Amino acid sequence: MNVAQQAINGLVIGSGYACVALGWTILLGAARLVNFAHGQMYMLAAFICWFILTRSGIGYPLAAAISIVAMALLGVGMQLMMGRLVMTQNLTSLMIVTLGFGYILQGVAGLLFGGAPHTITTELVQQKIQFGDVWFTSQELLIFVVTLILYGVVWLVLQRTRQGAIIRSVAEDPKLAQLFGIDSRSVYIAIFVLEAVLVALAAVLVAPRTPILTSMGFEEVIITFVIVVLGGIGNVGGALIVGMLLGLFTSFFGALVTPAYTTAAIFAVLLAFLIAKPEGLRTR
Amino acid sequence: MNHYTNSVEVSSGDGSIGRSARYRKSASLLLMVIGCVIVYLLPAWLGGSTVVYGLFVTIAILSVMALGVDVVLSYLGEVSLGHTIFWAIGGYAAAILSTTWDVNGWTTAAAAVALSVLAATMLGLATLRTREFVFSLATYAAAVVVAEITFNTDALGGSDGIVGIPPLHLPFGIADFTGRSSADLWPIAFALLLLSLGFVARFRRSRLGMQALMVQMNAPLATSSGLDAHRVRFLVFVVSAPITALAGWLYAYQRAYVGPDMFDMYFLTMMLTSIILVGTRILLASTIGVTLLLIQQNYLSIGGDGNKVVLGTVLVLMLVLWPKGLVRLIVDAVKPAVRRRQIVELNDGEVSLRKESARSR
Amino acid sequence: MTEVLSARSLTVRYGGNTAVHDVDLGIGAGRMVAVAGANGAGKSTLVNALAGWSRGYPVVSGDVLLDGQNISRLPPHQRSRGGLQHVPEGKNVFSELTVEENLALVRLGEDHVGRFLFSRSEVIDLFPRLHERRHHKGSALSGGERQMLAMARALLAGPRILLLDEPSVGLAPRLIGEVLAVVRSLVDRGLPVLVVDQNVRAVLEFADELYLLERGRIVGHGSAASMKNDDRILKAYLGDLAVKGDLQ
Repeated sequence: MNVAQQAINGLVIGSGYACVALGWTILLGAARLVNFAHGQMYMLAAFICWFILTRSGIGYPLAAAISIVAMALLGVGMQLMMGRLVMTQNLTSLMIVTLGFGYILQGVAGLLFGGAPHTITTELVQQKIQFGDVWFTSQELLIFVVTLILYGVVWLVLQRTRQGAIIRSVAEDPKLAQLFGIDSRSVYIAIFVLEAVLVALAAVLVAPRTPILTSMGFEEVIITFVIVVLGGIGNVGGALIVGMLLGLFTSFFGALVTPAYTTAAIFAVLLAFLIAKPEGLRTR
Repeated sequence: MNHYTNSVEVSSGDGSIGRSARYRKSASLLLMVIGCVIVYLLPAWLGGSTVVYGLFVTIAILSVMALGVDVVLSYLGEVSLGHTIFWAIGGYAAAILSTTWDVNGWTTAAAAVALSVLAATMLGLATLRTREFVFSLATYAAAVVVAEITFNTDALGGSDGIVGIPPLHLPFGIADFTGRSSADLWPIAFALLLLSLGFVARFRRSRLGMQALMVQMNAPLATSSGLDAHRVRFLVFVVSAPITALAGWLYAYQRAYVGPDMFDMYFLTMMLTSIILVGTRILLASTIGVTLLLIQQNYLSIGGDGNKVVLGTVLVLMLVLWPKGLVRLIVDAVKPAVRRRQIVELNDGEVSLRKESARSR
Repeated sequence: MTEVLSARSLTVRYGGNTAVHDVDLGIGAGRMVAVAGANGAGKSTLVNALAGWSRGYPVVSGDVLLDGQNISRLPPHQRSRGGLQHVPEGKNVFSELTVEENLALVRLGEDHVGRFLFSRSEVIDLFPRLHERRHHKGSALSGGERQMLAMARALLAGPRILLLDEPSVGLAPRLIGEVLAVVRSLVDRGLPVLVVDQNVRAVLEFADELYLLERGRIVGHGSAASMKNDDRILKAYLGDLAVKGDLQ
C-alpha cells in the first residue's frame, strides 16, 4: 500500500466530505435546523449538472453555476413553505418536513432522470497530475483547493463581518436578535439558501468522481452528520478538521480493511464518541 | 396560537362509576366488537379477490409497522427514524430462520421480538441522553448504516436479499395454520393488528405509559417526583421495537422475500405520514393513515416515483398546514357538536411536544 | 402633550390566563414613566407586549401607537427599527459576540425625524467602561457592564423611546443609582423612557410618573411625587418601616 497515495486520496475524500458538510453545519449551528433533504439536494444538483452537460453544449463551469442557482431557488422555495414552522422554532416538525421534501425530491428526480446510473464527465476528472509516486486528478485538486478557500471565506465572513455577526446573533438567540432590529426570519431563509448553494457546489465538484444515481444521497447525510457531531455544531473549523480526518480514515480503512463498510465504520466511530460523551451534543 | 388545557385523562376503566357510564362502556364495547367483525369480513364482501386480500393484509402490516413509531412519537414526543431497523430485523429473522432451518412461525416470531428488543436496547443506550433532533439523527444514521451493512453482507443475502421463504406455518396445538395466500394470511394479519392495538391501548393506561406522558409534559417535575426520565424513555423505546418487528415478520411471509429494500425511505415516510396525517395519541391513527395512503397508492397511483412525490407532499403539507392532524382539525371545526373526552392536550397536539420555555435560558 | 408611545386596551393572554387586562397608558416626550407592581403583576408582560416581543407565545390584543402610528401589527424587529428600543430583563446582549460586535449589529435607518441620535463617541462617554471592554465577549462582562451594553446598543439605534425592563437586577446599589442617573440625563434631553423595576424606591427618585400594576390591571397612576405618598406603594413595596419623611 502506497501510504503517500492513500494520504492524498484521504485528503481529497476529506475535502469532499468537508465541502458537503459545510452548509449543513452552518445551518444547524445558526438555525438549529436539520435539513434531511441535504442528501437529495446533493443528488439533484449533481443530476441537474449532468443533464445540462449531456443535453446541451454548455460547458462544465456554466453547468455547475446553473445547478447552484437552481438549488438556491429550491432552497428559497423550501424555506417559504416552512415559514411558520421556522419562527415557532418547532424543530422536530421542521426536521420531518425536510425529510418529506427529500422524499419528494427523490421522486421528482426519478421522474425526470430515471433510475439508471450516470456519470458527470469533465476534462478535469481525466487530467492526471503526477508527483513521483503519487498522482491525483485535476478535479481532485480543484475539490481540495475550493474547499479550503470556501472554508476560509466562510470563516472570515462569520467572524469578521457584520453579516457574520448577524448570523451568529441569530444562532445564539433569534428572539433577542429581533430587538436589535434583525429580522431573524430573513436570516433563516438566507442561511438555508446558503446551505443549498454550498451543497450544490459540493455536488458539482465531488459528484464527477463517481457514478450518480437518483437513489443516492444517504451516505452523504450520514457522513455530514458524523462530521458535525464530532466537529461541534456550527463549528466551521471543526468541520474542516474532522472532515479531513474522516477522509483519511476512509482512505486507509478502505485500503487496509474493505471499502464496503466504510460508512458503517465511520458511524461506529461516532457511536463510540456518543457513548464516551453521552450528552452527545451541546445543544441550546 | 398555542394554548394548553391542563386536563388529565379520566380513565374510566376502574368500574367504580355510575350506571349510565357503565351502559356507555358496554355499548362502546359492543360497537367495537361489531366493528371488528365488519372489518374482518370486509375483504370477503369486497369480492374476496387476491388483490383485495393482499391490500388488506398490507394495510394491516403497515399499520402495525407504523404503530411502533407512534408509540415513541405519541408517548415520548420523539421522532424515531430508526424503526426501519426493527422492521427489517423482523423480516430477516423470519426469512433466515425459515429458509435455513425448518422452523415454524412461532419460532421466527419469537426471534423477531428478541432480536428487535436487543437492537432497540443497543440503540436506546447509545441515544440515551440525546434529545429531539439529535435523537432523530442518530436513529436515522443507525438505520442507514444497518441498511448498508445488510446490503453488503452476503450472509444476509446481500443486495439480492433472501428468496423462497416458505409459507407461514403456525401450529396451534389442536389445529395447524398454514398461510399460502393473502386470503390465508388475512386472519393472522388482522389478529396481529388487533393484538398490537390492544397492546398499545393497554400500554396507554399502564404505569410506564403514564410515566412517559408525565416525562413528556414536564420532565423536571417528573424527575423531582422520583421518575428516572432516561429509564422511562429507554423502556418506551424498547417496548415499541417488537411491534414494528412483528409487522416486518409478517411482511416477509406475505412477500416470500426480504431484501435491503425494507430499508427504503418509503417505509419510513409511510410510518411518519400515516401518523401525522391523522394525529398523535390517537390509537387508530396509523391504521387510518395507512388505509388512506394505500388507497391512493393502489387506486389513484401515478407511478412509483409519482407516488413518492404524493406521499412526500402529503407529509409536508400536513406538517405545514395542519400539524395537529386531520382528526383534531375536524374535531375543532365541529367543536360544539362533539362531546369530547378530555384528553391530555399539549401544544395543540403538534408533533414537537417540548415546552418552549425550557429552551430560553 | 402628545404621547410618543401609547397603549389602548392592551390585553395579553397566555393559555387560559389573562396576564394583562385592558391597559391604557401613555408616555410623553421628556418623561420618565415607571411601572411598579409586585412580582407577577404583569409588568414584564406589559412591556414586552408594547414591544411586540416575547419569549413565549402570548396572544395580544389592543393597540400600541408610536408617534401616532399604529404599530400593533408590526413584528418586533420592525418596531425596533421604527424607534421602539426595548431592553428586556434577563438576557439582553449576546454572550458569544464581543462588545464591539454587539454594538455593530445596530444599524440606524434613514428616517431620523423624531429620533434621538447618539454617536458612538457619545455612547462611550456615557458608558466609558464599555470602551475598555470592547473586545470582550458578552459572557465575560459583569452584570452591570452587560446592562450598560444593552442600553448602549438601544441608544445607538436612534430611539424614539426606551423601554427598560428591570435595569437594576443584579446590580450593586451604587451602580443602580449611576445607571438610573444616566437614564435621567437622557430623559432630561427629551428621550421618553418607560422603566419597569422591582426597586420602586430607587426608580421613584428619578421618575416623573408612575403606573401601579396589580394582577395585570392599572390600579393607580399619578406623578411620582404624589404616588410616593400613596398608601398602597408605601405598604406593599416599601415595607411597614417606611415613613413619609424617608422618601424626601
